[in-house]
Amino acid sequence: MLEFNATLLAQVVHFLILLIFLRFVAYKPLIKLLSDRQRLIENNINAAEQERQQAGQLKEELESDLRRAREQAQDIIQKAAKAAEDQAVEIIENAKNEAKRLKESALAEIQREKDKAVAEMRDQAASLAVLAAGKILERQIDDKIQHELVREFVKEAGELLC
Amino acid sequence: MLSLQEVEEKLNFWNWPHHHWDTTLGGVHLSFNPKTMIMTWIVMIIVAFFAVSATRNMDLRRPRGAQNVLEMMFEGIRNLVNQNMDPQKGANLLSIVVTFFIFILFSNMIGLIPTLSSPTADYNTTFALSLTTFVLIYIFGIRYKGAGYFKHYFQPYVFFLPINLIEDLSKPITLAFRLYGNIYGGEVLIAVLLGLLTGWVDVCGGFIASVIWLAFSIFVGFIQAFIFTMLSIAYVSQAVAENH
Repeated sequence: MLEFNATLLAQVVHFLILLIFLRFVAYKPLIKLLSDRQRLIENNINAAEQERQQAGQLKEELESDLRRAREQAQDIIQKAAKAAEDQAVEIIENAKNEAKRLKESALAEIQREKDKAVAEMRDQAASLAVLAAGKILERQIDDKIQHELVREFVKEAGELLC
Repeated sequence: MLSLQEVEEKLNFWNWPHHHWDTTLGGVHLSFNPKTMIMTWIVMIIVAFFAVSATRNMDLRRPRGAQNVLEMMFEGIRNLVNQNMDPQKGANLLSIVVTFFIFILFSNMIGLIPTLSSPTADYNTTFALSLTTFVLIYIFGIRYKGAGYFKHYFQPYVFFLPINLIEDLSKPITLAFRLYGNIYGGEVLIAVLLGLLTGWVDVCGGFIASVIWLAFSIFVGFIQAFIFTMLSIAYVSQAVAENH
């Protein structure tokens, strides 16, 4: 049969002593350490999440910057192309104008030369007519009649020529 | 072949006294089992050394050595407590059940060292521990439920009272005898194996049986410490559970 004695009480006391000892020596610092570690891990996770969020934000910002820069570049290129086209049109226009001016001046020159030639020819034709008339008619006329005749002749000749 | 008494006599290297320590305190006669007492003191000293070495120079980021072992035990038991009951209520229980586990584990293991014996191989020790659990059940039950805790004796019907009383009383008895039986039985078998296989039989392979049994006893010692702790948690959590 079981024989309980005071060992039982002593063991209860032993257990309580051990419990109090461990509670102060081991469990208190251990609980503190474990909660510290938990807090550390939580902080690390939070920091990592925050950093990831910031990185995402930064990425988005950079992407939008890039998109804007691309759009601007496209704009600039388009503007430049348009300006070049305008310039080309202007140059062609100028060239056309220049050509027209040159042509006009050339035409005026030609006209002038023509007029000059006509005038010379008139003079020469008058002289020739005087010579021819003098020779053919061989008649002496005064200068006044002669001059009148010449003029008549020249006029006719001029009408014929022109 | 030697009888168990003869083996125990031979193993009594430290000259354990055969009689009780008797003393009278305030007119009350007290007697102690000297072997159990001394072994308990040795276990307490070892546990204290372990606790001090584990908590000295603790490393927050890279635990090693004894700190790792203590952390593993503490966190494992804390998880058990938190699974079984409200963590806020369990915080008060935690240090008690962790002490149960460490004390019982070291007690079981020290008995495997030749010539020493486990404090838990004495039913006085196991009853001391299980009665602590028994008291804890009532302390926690009354603390969190007040007098309403005693209502569970009359559930589901009043005439279930004797069954409920037997159930409650069986808790410390089964806890104590499970632990005592396993550890005492293990120690007896160690002695029996040494007595059975003597001389040349032992040298020519008889020791293998002892080695296997010692290895198994390590396993049993760990499992019994765990079971005692686990059941204490379960009993207390049952007492504080809301929907009892």
